[in-house]
Amino acid sequence: MISAVVTFIGDGVLNGTGQKSDVALAAAGDSSAFERLYRAHVARIHSLARRMLGNDFADEVTQDIFVRTWQKLSTFRGESAFTTWLHRLALNVIIERRRSLAIQRTRVADDPIALDLATVPPSRSDLRVDFEYAMGQLPEGAREIFVLHDVEGYKHREIAVMLQIATGTSKRQLHRARMLIRQQLGEA
Amino acid sequence: MSRHEQWTDQLSDYLDDELSEAERAAVEAHLGECAECSKTLGSLRRIVAEAASLTPRPPENDLWPGVAVRLAQPRRISFTIPQLAAASLLLAALSGGAVVLLLGGGPTGRSQTATNPGGTAEAPGVEAARPAGALSEDIGSDSGLAAAVNVADAQYDEAVAELERALEEGRGRLDATTVSVVEQNLSIIDLAIAEARGALMADPSNGFLSGHLIEARRRKLDLLRRAAALTQPN
Repeated sequence: MISAVVTFIGDGVLNGTGQKSDVALAAAGDSSAFERLYRAHVARIHSLARRMLGNDFADEVTQDIFVRTWQKLSTFRGESAFTTWLHRLALNVIIERRRSLAIQRTRVADDPIALDLATVPPSRSDLRVDFEYAMGQLPEGAREIFVLHDVEGYKHREIAVMLQIATGTSKRQLHRARMLIRQQLGEA
Repeated sequence: MSRHEQWTDQLSDYLDDELSEAERAAVEAHLGECAECSKTLGSLRRIVAEAASLTPRPPENDLWPGVAVRLAQPRRISFTIPQLAAASLLLAALSGGAVVLLLGGGPTGRSQTATNPGGTAEAPGVEAARPAGALSEDIGSDSGLAAAVNVADAQYDEAVAELERALEEGRGRLDATTVSVVEQNLSIIDLAIAEARGALMADPSNGFLSGHLIEARRRKLDLLRRAAALTQPN
């Protein structure tokens, strides 16, 4: 009985026995309940968006993710933890955004000068730069895979499916990312 | 790529346990005699540990007001791919079931020629073309038909409930005339379904009534699906 009472506390959505979870309340249209969900999860979602897409898009994409969450809450069946469901939804939105930026990225990647800039450490490489800053300096393809694998804990085969790339590409980009971070941190 | 770089390139796979036994043994042998690769491996190990220990950081600005404004807009009706696939399969199954019945899948020839108070015009013609006595052999027993109808019930009810919910949520985006037409049609179909159910209770082996019920249910699902689609923004 006690375990039933505390179920879902990990998601921060239950106040006690007999009360509806914030997820259920929000799905029924309760925006106050949804704000509580937002407050509980925004740091993780914003960090994911920032690390995957960079600072320029993080705020906007985080808002998109929560609006999409609100719209899709009625499809949440509780088969997985809300946190897991939200994380997958967030990744879908981020990957969609990544694809919509593909043309712009291709233009940058095709520019040999841009490629050089992307792979050369900043001039202050004699300093120990912040780890997150170093991550942010990675070329986009390598950064996404580094975040998904080393920060978020996804396997190469899962990343390959998500990003529609070969497993070998995921492995190569991950190694490239780690070596570039090592360089940025002045350990090379 | 130099021989040394080839070893370096395997260090991430080594760290992530992605190498075969033989490859792993070879890398370990190399690490035993290459101080540079050992140092690189140590760096990579620290980077992996650092990445795994990163904690979430909230946004510098409060993003909630921007979210809240957008929540005030009407909710977008959306279905998951599995939901849409299930609805399509159900429609196909119900249509197929109706076709089987109308093409001679019903349990008795007698019942197929019963009055058709709102059924399809094709039924009598199909009935006439069907060889007498072929029905029960084609479809199996009456209980088999009843079971097939019952199996679809749970999925059908779930799909209808889902579409009704979507329609209810999105009805504000439909004009009053459309809502009225949809509601009138739904009530007619519901009446047909109720009558067919009642008649089937009295005559469970009546193939025509079973077909009529399936067709009416299919029509309801189809109407709901199209009405719900109208509520979705382009």
